[in-house]
Amino acid sequence: MSNIKPGREVMVVGVGLHPFGRFPDKDLGDLAIEAVLSALEDAGVKWKDVAIAYFGHVYYQGMSIGETTLSKLGLTGVPIVNVENACSSGSTAFWQAYWGITTGLNDIALAFGAEKVPRGPVTVTAEDAPERYIGGDHMMAGYALRGKRYMEETGAPATALAEVSVKARKNAAMNPYAHRKDTYTIEEVLNSRMVADPLTLFQCCPTSEGGAAAVLCAREDLAKYGIDESRAVSIAAAVLTSGDYNGRGADHSAFSPYRTEPAAIQAYEMSGLGPEDVDLVQVHDAATIGELQQIEALHLFPFGEAWQGTVEGRTALTGDIPVNTDGGLLAMGHPFGASGIRMIHETVTQLRGEAGFRQVANARVGVAQCSGAGDVTTVHILRKG
Amino acid sequence: MPSMPDSEQSGNPISVDPTRLKLTSDDASTGTLIGFHCKDCDTTVFGTAVFCQACTSRNLEAVELGVKGILYSYTIVRIPPAGWPGNVPYVLGQVELPQGPQVLAEVIGCEYDDLEIGMEVEMTLQAVSAENGGPDKAVYKWRPA
Repeated sequence: MSNIKPGREVMVVGVGLHPFGRFPDKDLGDLAIEAVLSALEDAGVKWKDVAIAYFGHVYYQGMSIGETTLSKLGLTGVPIVNVENACSSGSTAFWQAYWGITTGLNDIALAFGAEKVPRGPVTVTAEDAPERYIGGDHMMAGYALRGKRYMEETGAPATALAEVSVKARKNAAMNPYAHRKDTYTIEEVLNSRMVADPLTLFQCCPTSEGGAAAVLCAREDLAKYGIDESRAVSIAAAVLTSGDYNGRGADHSAFSPYRTEPAAIQAYEMSGLGPEDVDLVQVHDAATIGELQQIEALHLFPFGEAWQGTVEGRTALTGDIPVNTDGGLLAMGHPFGASGIRMIHETVTQLRGEAGFRQVANARVGVAQCSGAGDVTTVHILRKG
Repeated sequence: MPSMPDSEQSGNPISVDPTRLKLTSDDASTGTLIGFHCKDCDTTVFGTAVFCQACTSRNLEAVELGVKGILYSYTIVRIPPAGWPGNVPYVLGQVELPQGPQVLAEVIGCEYDDLEIGMEVEMTLQAVSAENGGPDKAVYKWRPA
């Protein structure tokens, strides 16, 4: 638990995305710069007014890639920090940007992330690690173990997990930035290629390429930089945690399905808000089971009951607690460094009332939760105005 | 191929991970899972530990964790991770040891229909060829007890 209390109120003043998908003709910097320029334009902020930048990315693309990427915008001498925190790299960059401003270190910060994830199943350990022989280092197999156990304990049918994917695609069909925009039925989800029982291919997020960026500014400095306060969204909580001991060991995400709960409790405390105040949420749905367990860990549903809420349509855009309104990892795809900031992008867009066909009515409070290997969890709570 | 040092020319498999699996016979046919027990908070961890993962104490003792466990969850992996040297599909089991920690490993010798959460399993060893030459690896796996 952090001992430092938030000081200055911090606002998200601009967000931008490079579409998610596959872009063989573009390098990492191309993806990142498009998102950054879009966020700066959205904020009405000049690059020379940005006091610090944090770049989330995972796969190695050369040293100091954040510096070489941003150098295209001009060399202003500001600190640029490269951030690797697995699938939470982008949201960790955002967390750092928040804390730099609230403590008074900077007025304006840029958090951005980009990734070109290789195709195929994702592994965590080094190539020559014993896990290669043991067979347990397989992200989706880890989620499958969680799914199998969840179904056993809660009685959730396979169709309930598939429903998460169906909803994701429905939302993404209204999102021009999504990697996968075609919709499908529960039967098509269940009949897609089996990856690791009970997870079929359409229940696992695609690995993707893309970029995302957010510009943050202290509320008291908005006028100084000529930023439009009416479109600024307040950051009510910014929490980053790693794993604590759960009695079983911390060497695989399969062991810790509810790791988000301590971070969620911290975030609710920091914001003075509770689960009952949340109007919409973006969570880490790398696999369908992930979404169900994350929204339980956020206390939006009792443990073991998110699958019923999903079947009843409560997490759909028209439900009482819409989840992954932009399509989530399942349909947006998952460029690791970008995903955490993509969740911020969607939350801000919704709270501004600019989400078009995806707009959640009367959205005032949104949560963005992102997980990463090593039991990294970030929880951010954003509030309108 | 460069020649191997004398110690690796016995032809016997070596432990896939000496911090988690101790072999108890020269031909690698038997072994035990190993870990550490914290004498301050009574937590047991699988594999290596210098500090207790639960309470951060250094008051640890090396312990043998044996070969028995209960199947906590399982999955049939049909798209394997890169470099997986075994059969496809394979069953991955998440097994809870009596001392508390959980251990992921392949489950062998069991029909898919007979897999059941809560079933008793025991560890068995299989020799697997090393990726880059060198002695075979003795890999721990689970099978129905």
